[in-house]
Amino acid sequence: MALIEIEREEAVEEKEREPVRVTGLPFFPHFLLREVVVMCLIAGSLILLASLYPAGLLQPADPFTTPTPIYPEWYFLYVFGFLKFWTYDIGPIPAKVIGVTVPMVLWYGLLILVPFIDRNPSTELRKRKIAVALGVIALIAVLVLTYYGIVHGE
Amino acid sequence: MREQREVIIMTLYEKIYKWLDDRFKLGELLPPIVKHPAPVNVVSNPLYCLGGTAFLCFLILVVTGMFLAFYYKPTPDEAYKSVQNIMTAVPLGSLIRSIHHWAANTMIAAVMLHMIRIYFMGAYKKPRELNWVVGIFLLLTVTTFGFSGYLLPWDQLALWATKIGTGIAGSIPIIGGYISLILVGGNDIGAETMTRFFAIHVLILPAAIITLLGLHFLMVRIQGISGRL
Ligand code: HEM
Repeated sequence: MALIEIEREEAVEEKEREPVRVTGLPFFPHFLLREVVVMCLIAGSLILLASLYPAGLLQPADPFTTPTPIYPEWYFLYVFGFLKFWTYDIGPIPAKVIGVTVPMVLWYGLLILVPFIDRNPSTELRKRKIAVALGVIALIAVLVLTYYGIVHGE
Repeated sequence: MREQREVIIMTLYEKIYKWLDDRFKLGELLPPIVKHPAPVNVVSNPLYCLGGTAFLCFLILVVTGMFLAFYYKPTPDEAYKSVQNIMTAVPLGSLIRSIHHWAANTMIAAVMLHMIRIYFMGAYKKPRELNWVVGIFLLLTVTTFGFSGYLLPWDQLALWATKIGTGIAGSIPIIGGYISLILVGGNDIGAETMTRFFAIHVLILPAAIITLLGLHFLMVRIQGISGRL
């Protein structure tokens, strides 16, 4: 992460060409120390988590017995949840195709296009009410679908 | 005696510094990095740590992953036994595998929170549009890392979750059939699938993520961190 600090330094250099004077402490030793502290905290927490909750290993894989319940990893639960939630065909398109395409293809397509859809130059939360509202709705939707995925595990 | 030794070390240090300085102009390179002030708002706001946290997790994953690759055997007959061996017999094996597990989950969480910070601070706006796009590909890469790693221990959860996962990918219109054929390598999940998932997990995705991270950091370096808040 010290490397990242170096990159942040570059940011300062850019800014310094502008008349606004950046107030701050020198990178070394103040922020380097802070970085090292943060890194140690993260590394320490990982070791603690790993010791308290070791990675699991279940029964060996057996193609003939389906275990219950089966969950995907937590970060795919929303896809799983949407698939379980969407049971309606639209015209000739079967429900399953929609259930898969919306959270994978459409969702990622939409994410990629975010900077090109949102042309509003402001970065003030109050001046970008629509973007903020859509963001909050998307977050809630992903959380709710994740919950739905947990409840409806196979 | 002790002082004398210190003097020798100092001159050795100075000699090394001079040797490098002659060749790489350290005297010009280091001061801007070491002395320049970092803006208080960026450095004191912990939300700006999320990208760095993800990167630290990535480095931990590389090191622990190399260790695991020494003992892991990517075939259906051997995989489960080799993971069991790591968990019970290899010195520190259980700890290292568990750290790999937790660093992976923490990295994905950090990447998602990092993305949420970028979204709500509007840090994707001009001139950083392309870095957002690279970011989305990073998100895809990171989650695919998780997906491909899930199969490797070859336990019940690994097999059946992968069955569902490749099934979901296979139902995407038009390209889904190809994706699932490329991933599974046959009709059913078996030795072919394992070899492919292993290759994806330890060769293809690392190459992809290093390229993407290079682009990502290069762009942050050129453009600087957006100065909001
Ligand atoms: C492997 C995953 C990733 C790593 C290691 C990473 C790392 C970083 C780091 C260290 C920074 C510097 C500022 C900060 O830490 O907040 C940064 C900035 C940035 N990242 Fe990421 N990132 C990742 C994924 C993503 C994703 C998924 C997105 C969005 C879709 C994204 C978009 C951006 C943007 C737009 C910036 C510039 C922000 C600014 O100027 O304020 N990154 N990234």
